[in-house]
Amino acid sequence: MTRLLERPLVHFALAAITVLVLPLVLRSGTLASEILIYGLAAAACNLLLGYTGLLSFGQGIFFGLGSYVSGLLLLRAGWPAPVMLPAVALVGAATATAVGWLSIRRQGVYFVMLTLAFSQLFYFLAYTFSDLTGGDNGLLNVPRPRLGGRALADPWSYYAYVAVLFLALFAVLQRVALSTFGRTLLAIRDNEARASAIGFPVRAFKVAAFAISGAVTALAGALHAMLIGVAPLSNIEYHTSETLLIMTIIGGGANLFASVLGAAFYLVAGDLLSAIWPRWLLLLGALLIAIALFMQRGLWGLVERAAALVTRAPAEGAVPEESRP
Amino acid sequence: MTAASPTHAPASAGAFEPALAAEGLGVRYGSFVALKDVTLRVRANSVHAIIGPNGAGKTTLFHALTGRIRTAGGRITLGGRDITRTRDDDRVRLGLARSFQVTSLFATLSVRENLRLAAQGRTPWAALAPWRRVPEHDAAQDTVRALLQRLDLGPVAGRAAGELSHGQQRRLEVGMAMAARPKVILLDEPTSGMGTDDIGAMTDLIRDLGRDHTVLFIEHNMGIVMNISDTVTVMRAGQVLVEGRPAAVRDDPEVRRAYLGNMITGDLR
Amino acid sequence: MTYLFQILNGIGLGMLYFLLAVGLSVIFGLLQFVNFAHGAFYMLGAYLAYAMVERGVSFWLALPLAGLAVAVLAAVTEAVLLRRVYKQAHTFHILATVGLALVVQEIVIIVWGPIGGNLAPPEGLSGIVILGDFVYPEYRLFVIAFTAVLAGALWWLLEGTRLGAIVRAGSESAEDMALLGYDTRRINTAVFGLGAGLAGLAGALAAPIRGVDPFMSVEALSVAFVVVVIGGMGSYAGALAAGLAVGIAQSLMATLWPEGARLMIYLGMAAIIVMMPRGLFGRA
Repeated sequence: MTRLLERPLVHFALAAITVLVLPLVLRSGTLASEILIYGLAAAACNLLLGYTGLLSFGQGIFFGLGSYVSGLLLLRAGWPAPVMLPAVALVGAATATAVGWLSIRRQGVYFVMLTLAFSQLFYFLAYTFSDLTGGDNGLLNVPRPRLGGRALADPWSYYAYVAVLFLALFAVLQRVALSTFGRTLLAIRDNEARASAIGFPVRAFKVAAFAISGAVTALAGALHAMLIGVAPLSNIEYHTSETLLIMTIIGGGANLFASVLGAAFYLVAGDLLSAIWPRWLLLLGALLIAIALFMQRGLWGLVERAAALVTRAPAEGAVPEESRP
Repeated sequence: MTAASPTHAPASAGAFEPALAAEGLGVRYGSFVALKDVTLRVRANSVHAIIGPNGAGKTTLFHALTGRIRTAGGRITLGGRDITRTRDDDRVRLGLARSFQVTSLFATLSVRENLRLAAQGRTPWAALAPWRRVPEHDAAQDTVRALLQRLDLGPVAGRAAGELSHGQQRRLEVGMAMAARPKVILLDEPTSGMGTDDIGAMTDLIRDLGRDHTVLFIEHNMGIVMNISDTVTVMRAGQVLVEGRPAAVRDDPEVRRAYLGNMITGDLR
Repeated sequence: MTYLFQILNGIGLGMLYFLLAVGLSVIFGLLQFVNFAHGAFYMLGAYLAYAMVERGVSFWLALPLAGLAVAVLAAVTEAVLLRRVYKQAHTFHILATVGLALVVQEIVIIVWGPIGGNLAPPEGLSGIVILGDFVYPEYRLFVIAFTAVLAGALWWLLEGTRLGAIVRAGSESAEDMALLGYDTRRINTAVFGLGAGLAGLAGALAAPIRGVDPFMSVEALSVAFVVVVIGGMGSYAGALAAGLAVGIAQSLMATLWPEGARLMIYLGMAAIIVMMPRGLFGRA
């Protein structure tokens, strides 16, 4: 059981099951779509955090940019969605290359602070050039993609569209994580100095990780803009970066499905709690402190522990937190 | 692999084309001079030891030779090629690999993966392929299998490197340097913290390495140094004090003076 | 003349940035973690001063009280919560302080509402200074004078006292201090309180200039990061120079290109990172 949880195919199956189960347990197709979209962006964030050891507060840059570029291409250039999406991925990758290249010039906490500062830079760019972005109002009337001549206006039909892309991109991210490239990222995360000493051009690998993460995050941003019909200023704000990071950490580990789990938890909890109490973020803040103190391996750590209990074998998940790096 | 050099002439005799050489090397940390005018010529297919008291600049010299730190002056050549300004990861591809004094592994990755990565480091750009799976059979995997056997790490190949015993970690540490199939291999205190049994095995390994590699190593255990080195360089205060064959160095009065009162005096037999 | 006006404004702004950055620096210097709740402490300081003045407390009492209250609150949080995170990886230091920032932000919204408010400059400083044809608000001159005195006191504290030596030398010496019998836990708590208190004081000083709102924390945090990235962590002179540079640049830009003034801070930082990856003072 616990060995099973380490297999990539199982993770993909879990992602597919998530896609199938969400329509059964949720009444809102919008919320279900949001879970897949943010799950994708959190998985892309995990490629940096869990695999490469880069804690980036800049993921909102690519998410927001994806929203804007998709809106502009759909509205102003009149491109259809299947042409727009690859272009968005390219813009996301290019921007992430630039941001990544600049940020990794500093290491450790300076890197983290730089990514946050860059996220502010892009926020003010979007805010300042309101002719293009709509400023505070956002870019309005972003259309849904069309299929067979009609727009996917119904939430669940758009959900199906998102689900297909989600599974395809999840598979792509998995492929990346398992590749020679992905395995080198793990080495860089574990011991950057040694990775460099055995011959790896660490910077190039980090920038490439940024590019892939940026491309997928921008695609998620595009899907989000089409979902809500707006490319809002809030998508490029600090809070989007923070939210994506929180989802990833709540999910836990160098494990792409865990990030989807984190996103689902965050959005469902937010949906339920905000209906009861608008200040539910207070509870989230308390939860983050609790995770930092008692649950560093996140929700996935709980899954592993549960699996270990079921098989009654001391599994990896049962190792005390203190002994982990 | 080049053939073993036919002669074992004294290190000081005549000119030879060194596998690795440093000329007038200087390193500064702020205002502190860590290395001053260090000249070193390491003969191909020899075992060359560097000794000296703590703070003599031995590890700093390694850092400079491998490109981990920038030099303030001087020139480094590898097989006659100037690598003074070459980045550390590029030097690996040119045939220079090292191990570290403080074990530096990929702690959460398996022993096999540690070695595979180190073998891959010789062709790092090929690894920058986000779509390519790790091949089951290729030159790197062959290297890994051979090393697992040579270092007696086969039984723990699937364990995380961070979970190994100290002796096993030290062997893996040296194995990581060997995996790059370098021409010149730099070992920084390969036996540090080892038990007697492990030390014997490591000594044999280093001597063995000298047959088809050029070995430059830092060592505090004088027994090993005197036993297996072709050449010994003694450093003190960031400078080269004496260089020569082990017997000559051992009997050098300056070396005796330099070591007087030092903790490793007793090891000088 | 407008330039002189803007430069003076910039110095006032820059000194506030300096206070923020120095607070961040001392915490990092001793505890080796970045306090992501720093912006929240700044906001809390501003709101406390605002609330006290609203209830009729004199600003001159509210200012030190706000700083002190934030310092005490932060010290208690450190002693009860954050202390337990130190042994974990730095991701979790950040996570814990991000969580703390969220908690503070939501409490602020619960207590004072999401809209924000304005705070009039204190009596006696609500007027303007006229020098020839140059006109300047008295309160802003006070901010410059007050922060200059505070900067001097901090300089003495950090460069001239034993506490300063410990903070500057970082965590290794903290271990030595423990061996010498100093209670490092108490020093940690005190330093965290001091750093947070400086942020709170900066917030209270800024309140009559910019008002209070629940979004001021992110802005303050990111500007403090810019200052620290440019000036270097743990460098008093770096924080002062970079804080003033950022403040003056932002102020001057406000006349040239008002909408882009804050954008320019970040573009300037990016330019410095391209040209001087180690920041202005080449540290770390």
